[in-house]
Parts: sequence; structure tokens; C-alpha cells
Amino acid sequence: MARIGVLTCWCGENIARNVDVQSVAEQAAQLPGVRCSRVHKYMCSDPGQKLIRDTIAAERLDGVVIASCSPHMHLKTFRKAAEHASLNPYLVEMANIREHCSWVHPERSRATAKAVDLIRVAVAKVRHNRALEPIQVPVTRKVLVVGGGVAGIQAALDIADAGVPVVLVEREPSIGGKMAGLSETFPTLDCSQCILTPRMVEVAQHPNITLYTCSDVEQVEGYVGNFQVTIRKRARYIDIDKCTGCGQCWSVCPSKKTPSEFDYGLGARTAIYAPFPQAVPARPVIDRDACLRLTKGRCGVCVKKCQADAIRFEDQDELVREDIGAIIVATGYQLYEIGKPDDRGRIAGYGEYGYGRYPDVISSLQFERLVSASGPTGGEIRRPSDGTVPKTVVFLSCVGSRDNAKGLSYCSKICCMVNAKHTMLYKHKVHDGQAHVFYMDIRAGGKNYDEFVRRAIEQDGAHYHRGRVSKITQEDGRLIVRGVDTLAGEPLTIAADLVVLAAAMRPATGVEELAQKVNVSYDEFGFLCESHPKLRPVETNAAGVFVCGACQGPKDIPESVTQASAAAGKVLMMFSRDRLYREPEIAHVQESACAGCFSCRRGCPYHAIDPAEIRDRQGQLVRRVARVNPGLCMGCGTCVALCLSKSIDLEGFSEQQVYAMVESLR
Amino acid sequence: MLQPLRETCRRLLQDGTVQVVIGYGQAVRAVEPYPVFITDPDDVGQLVWNEQCRTNLVKYLLRKEIRVLGKPAIVVKGCDERAIVVLEQESQIDRSQIVVIGVACDGMAEPRCEVCDAHQPRFADHTIGHATNVAQPAERRYAALCEFLEQPPSDRMAYWKAELERCVKCYACRQACPLCYCERCIVEKNRPTCLDTSATLKGNFAWHIVRAFHLASRCVGCDQCSRVCPEGIDLRLVNLSMARASEASFGHRSGTDPQAELVLGNYSQQDQEHFIR
Repeated sequence: MARIGVLTCWCGENIARNVDVQSVAEQAAQLPGVRCSRVHKYMCSDPGQKLIRDTIAAERLDGVVIASCSPHMHLKTFRKAAEHASLNPYLVEMANIREHCSWVHPERSRATAKAVDLIRVAVAKVRHNRALEPIQVPVTRKVLVVGGGVAGIQAALDIADAGVPVVLVEREPSIGGKMAGLSETFPTLDCSQCILTPRMVEVAQHPNITLYTCSDVEQVEGYVGNFQVTIRKRARYIDIDKCTGCGQCWSVCPSKKTPSEFDYGLGARTAIYAPFPQAVPARPVIDRDACLRLTKGRCGVCVKKCQADAIRFEDQDELVREDIGAIIVATGYQLYEIGKPDDRGRIAGYGEYGYGRYPDVISSLQFERLVSASGPTGGEIRRPSDGTVPKTVVFLSCVGSRDNAKGLSYCSKICCMVNAKHTMLYKHKVHDGQAHVFYMDIRAGGKNYDEFVRRAIEQDGAHYHRGRVSKITQEDGRLIVRGVDTLAGEPLTIAADLVVLAAAMRPATGVEELAQKVNVSYDEFGFLCESHPKLRPVETNAAGVFVCGACQGPKDIPESVTQASAAAGKVLMMFSRDRLYREPEIAHVQESACAGCFSCRRGCPYHAIDPAEIRDRQGQLVRRVARVNPGLCMGCGTCVALCLSKSIDLEGFSEQQVYAMVESLR
Repeated sequence: MLQPLRETCRRLLQDGTVQVVIGYGQAVRAVEPYPVFITDPDDVGQLVWNEQCRTNLVKYLLRKEIRVLGKPAIVVKGCDERAIVVLEQESQIDRSQIVVIGVACDGMAEPRCEVCDAHQPRFADHTIGHATNVAQPAERRYAALCEFLEQPPSDRMAYWKAELERCVKCYACRQACPLCYCERCIVEKNRPTCLDTSATLKGNFAWHIVRAFHLASRCVGCDQCSRVCPEGIDLRLVNLSMARASEASFGHRSGTDPQAELVLGNYSQQDQEHFIR
């Protein structure tokens, strides 16, 4: 005989406005198996939770239905309350009479009737609930951080400083990411490299950090606390233990024409090169497509020059396996490909700005290199075409961003601040120059951000024009920028020497492939999805995988660093116990009925199903059946839907429960 | 044809490659041959091959009482072997533990044989005889279905009501189907009962719709279910309909390509989503 308690919440006015809570409670009391029915103004409040605990104890309940908001909101809260009253938390169910009822049904009588039905269904379900115990899994105390930009560096150092080993994987030859190429940072104008490179060196020297550069994550197996990660160390052709980083090799390399990736093509580099002077590790790498020895079999000047005998032309890719407990993805961003379709041919636009055709139309990251002391011009602002100092520079906001027609509806967030910074840096170096900015809106939300933009306009005299640019043409070595000033209400044409396009932020290439390896979902733009936008901003729906930095959405340095530390904190919290506790609401295979067709295994998005062999006492194989790995299963139910013989059931959402729910409405 | 078939089987049994041959034997009274399970090389004379060998024998590979006889060799037509391909894809058989003897077939005087494009077996270990496979356009292969679909929906519903009214739920369709291999069929699941097991119109609709879903993208079109139905219900139409959907939406023809990924449980970026609204 069931002893179920129904506790209905007013949620202040949220539910009570459209649902007659008192009547609902009275009707609920009549449902089969219901022992008592109570109401409270705010069930999630402290007195509300006390009511739950007291009712469970006083009425000796063996099942509870809380009729209130979405289980996403408060299921954990109420289950915890039940646990305090010594009731197994998995005997608590929720009827969502807010999002599914009062918020969407204005008609009071019908909303009330639906609320009763929702409770009826939940009561029918809870009668078949079973007491469950959390699943315990062991945990490997080691973290994989993917991406060595500022976010990855911050996360790695925070975790390593707490005494936990970290494996940091970076695709490029050096860590540092996009920030290493910036000149100065807003809103303080402090030198980007001056603040970043000490952190990079700290990573290299930290006893708890294993750094893999020129490396990719090849494969991720296992589950939270127990991942097995395969890392592909691409051939570097340098023995980085022997190499001293003296630089003799690249000073003699005859292949000097490759555009420098670090300078975004504004300068050239040799085939054997270190990306930038402060690179970590401070070791060169050989570009296998540019090296004459590797492409044509001749040359080898660097080998003769190298006194450390560190050059290895026979170097091969190497696969390394690491046991990992948690993964932090910090793969960062790239700029929107202006005028060119992206790697999937989806997003293209702004051919009218002539980027790629006119050498003096550059992107904001290229401008960073032009003003950087370590850049191709040594920090002097000289335009790429003829090397003269530009006297008029036009900066364009929102190139790609906030433009549905071009495929990116979002705001890239940093460009307004970047443009303001660029106008200031320009003015500080070219005193008689004039900066113009075309903008849609100025979005300078952040500590000292708006003051910074005002300074650019008021002290450094940047001309801001609210409006967009329709076309850029080249005439007599100058760029004619045709736009409109919507505040003045007239067309505006500016003859400029240099045009800088603040292109949109997009997730780095390859992030979708990585996301598929670690089972993290991503949005239509390729940004990784956090578990909850407000309350779980660095967690993902894949247990043990965390995100931080611009791979999750456009953000600036302070935000990336904050998020990185948050992710590090979450990982350390996870590692604070010897074992991990996971929700027991997972799938189970009824092995006696399983036909072993393994369509569940093919369909499982978490690779949580493996074949298992059933043997008799003599050790003879009887059958092969599917078995769920409780450490991996997320309880999504895909396998349940795929199983033709209905041999899989979901704990907490069993067939019996679902049928009872449907039957209760007859 | 018959002599090489018997010789092949005798050799396989004699040299111990297999312990049992699953083939067609001559019935005493009936015209239609019946399945024989030959374990002695001297008994290969029981094997026959004629225009009545319609039955798909693949189901017997799964039967426990046959499995205990040892490693089998099986006589199949080009159409039947598609079921072996699917059974292997669905982990039901170990192909290396089965010897497949494919017999070229010019048709068994059934309507489906007119649009057959698998007269010559393609995946058999031993092939007897020669036939030519002629590719058949989809509109020919699904002609029977297309003709049926020309009727208005109300007529079709009336047709199915009249047909399924007769079903006695003997489950012969299930027993004969080479792809119905579950240890426990869902109609036997009773905690909770998944579908109406009564032999009423409602229960019969439930059974045949679920059966169609379970065979969607899997059915190889051997028509064994229609052939064994004591009430003569033309289940072929249902199977054709699901096969056409699978081919049109996923380019998948069940059992024609051992390397193909199965439709159920696989996801590809190229999957059509036009039916999701």
C-alpha cells in the first residue's frame, strides 16, 4: 500500500495566478495511493523544505510528489530535503505545474484541471519508483587541458599549483595562443606579452605540468574520472631535449619565403623557425612543406650549423597515451574569414571590402602585429603595400558579427573595445594621424570599459561614425571607404591609407571534431555548449569535461581567465574525493532477453555499451549480450528506444513507470 | 545443377568442413520441397533443386536444435543470402563458422522473381550454376506497392481492416522470418505488457505495425512471412513500403552490402532530416 505525499507549491504568484492551488491540493488528496496533500507558498524556501521533511516523517511517506517548477530547477533541492528526512531521494518525483502549466495556460479552470492531471501522472509514476543508490566510480587524479592559450594556461597553472598533474596539449609549436600576438590590452594598455610570457615560462617549468606542443588529441576513450586519451605528437624534426634554442639554424635556413602564421601573413619566416622570440618551448620546428631537405631531399644547412646535434629529419609522428580524470577544453577562437567561405563553405561575405585583394585592408589581429614591438615592422605602423606611415586609418566594427545575412547573428563582444584600443595605439604612434571608426553600437560593458572608449574619442580624437560601410575601392594608392553616417543622415566617404576590419570571433578550426571525441555538444556556430548558461557555465553535459575561454562563446581576456579558473576549481572539487558519485538513473540491460544485435551500442552517444559474454559453468560461450557501463551512461534513453526486444530499461524512467503514467490518464 | 550441388555438399561433409548441410529435400506428398538437415555424406541424394524451392532456409541457422548439430553449410538463393548478410551485421552469426552454398536461380515462379536483381548469389563461399543479375529500377521493384498506393486512403484502410480482421495471431510470420531472432519477442513481454496481444482487429493492427517497424530498413524482402501466413495476408506490401522508405531516405537496401552501415542506430551528417518537423 503506497503512502504518497503530494506537496503543491504556489511559487508566489507564478503558479497561483493561473492555477487554483487549493483546489488542486484537494483533488490530489483523492488520487489512489495518496496519503496526504499539502500546499506551501514557496516550497523551495527553508520553511517549504521543512514542510517536506516534517510531512515525510509525520506521515511515514514512501513516495513524494512535489508539484511546482521544472525538475531542472529544483529536483536536486527536493531530493536533498527528502534525504534529510531519511527517505531515499529517488522516491521523489516532480510535477511541473509552472513551465508546463501556469506559465503557458491563461485560462484558470483548464490550467487547474491540467495541473491535477500532471500530478496524477507523477503519482502514478512514483508508485513504481525504486530506492536507488548513487554509482561510485574511481577517479584518476590527472587533468587534460586542450589548448594552450591564456585560458588553457590559467587552468593548467591553477590545477598544477593545487598539486594535481596536468597534461597540456597545444596544436601550435608554442603555447601562448592569440594573446601572445597582441600588442597591448584594453582597458589598461599593458603589454600583452609582458603579462603572458612569465605565465608561459611558469607552465614550462612547472613540475606538475606535462606540455605537448605540435600535438593533437587523437582519441578519447573511457568515462568521467577514467578517460584514456591518445595524443598525437606531430613530427617536429627537432629533439627538443638536445636543442638549446640558440637560433643558429634559422639564421642560416635558405627557405625564407613562407608567410609567418604568427604575424598573420604580414611577415615571412624560414622553414626551420621558432614562432616568436618568447615561444615556449623556446625550440624551433621544421615546416615539412617548406623545408628543402624534406621536400626535395637537398640542403641540410641547419644540420651542419647545429652544434647540439638536435635536428632529426627522420622524426615521425608519435602516439602517447595518458590516463586522465577530467578534461578541460580551451581551444579558443579564430577570426571570421572575411570575403572567403569558411572550411565548410557555409559562411562567406564582405567581398566588397577587398580583404585579400587590397594589401592595405587588414584584419584587427594583423593590426595588432603592426603595432607590436615584436611584429614585422618592429612596432612602427607602416602599411603593408608600400611601407609608408598611414595618415588616415578607418576601423570597421561588426565585420561578420550581428549580421544574419552573413550567417553570424551574435555579437563578438570584443571588437568595440579592440577598435577603441587600436585608435589609441595608432594615435600614440602617429601623432598627426586621424582614426575613424564605423560602428553599429558601442558595446563597452565591463569595468573601466566605457571610460576607455570615451578616452579614445575625447582625448585621442578618434572620429566615430555610426553607420556601416558599403564598399571599399582602391584609387591612386588610397582606399576609398564609402559608408553612411546615420546620425548625420548622410553618406560619408573617407579616403584612407589603411583599413582595419574587426572581424567576428569564431571557434577555432577542428573544435567540432574534438567536441565529437569528448561528446560535448556545440551550437550552430560551433561554440561548445555549457551545461547551464547561468548556473553551470563551465560544465558540459558530458561528465568530467569542462570548457573555458572563447571556445564556449566570444569573450575577452579577463573573462577567459575567470572562466579558466572556474573550470580549474570545478575539476579540483571533483578530485577532492576518492571516488566519484554519479546519478544512478541509467540504463540496464535485461540480459536474459537481450538478443545481442547491438543496435543500442551503435546508437549510444556516450559509447557506454559494450558486448559482454555469457558463459556456462564449463566456460563455454553461451551468448553475447549488451552491457551498460555505469560509469559512462548518462541515462539519455537512446538505447531504450532502439532495442527491438525491449530488453533495456531506464532506471527512474522504466517502461513500467511510463506505462503507469499513460494508464493513469485513461 | 543438382549434381554439382550434391557433390559440393558431399565433399564438405566428407572432409569435415561442416557437420550439417541445410538444404531442400523432396516431400513425400506435397509438391513443395521441405527443409532437410543432412549430417551423413551418403544422404546427399535427399537434396533437391527445382522451381519450388521458394522457402528461405536462413532461419534454420538460428535454431538451437540445428546449432547443436555443428558447423553448418546452407543452400541459399541470391535473394536468401541477403538475410545472412544482415544477420552478420547484427551480430547474430559468425560468418566464418558458416559455409554458404549459393545456387544460381532463374526465378521460382513468384511475382517478386520477375523484378529480382539477385539471380546469381554474390557472397557465397561456393556457387553452383550461372545466372545473370540484371539491375532493376526502383519503380519496377516497388511496382506492387505503387499500384496499391494508387487507391484512395479510405480504400486502403478498408483493405487492411478486411485483411487483418482474419489474422489469428499464430505468429507464423514471426517464426518464419529470418530476421526475427529475439530471445523474447516483445509480445511475450508482460511487465508491463507492451502491446495488445488479443487477436482482435486492434490487437492485430498493433502487432503488424510493430512488426513492420521492427523490420524497417532490415527486411530483405524474402516474402517468407507472406508465404507462411495461413490466412494469406499479403504482408509483402507492408515490407515493401518500409524498404522503399529506407532506400529513399538513407540509400540503404538491406543485405545488399556487407560493409554498409545499418540505418538504425547510426548517425551521419548527411542523413536527411526532411521528415522531422
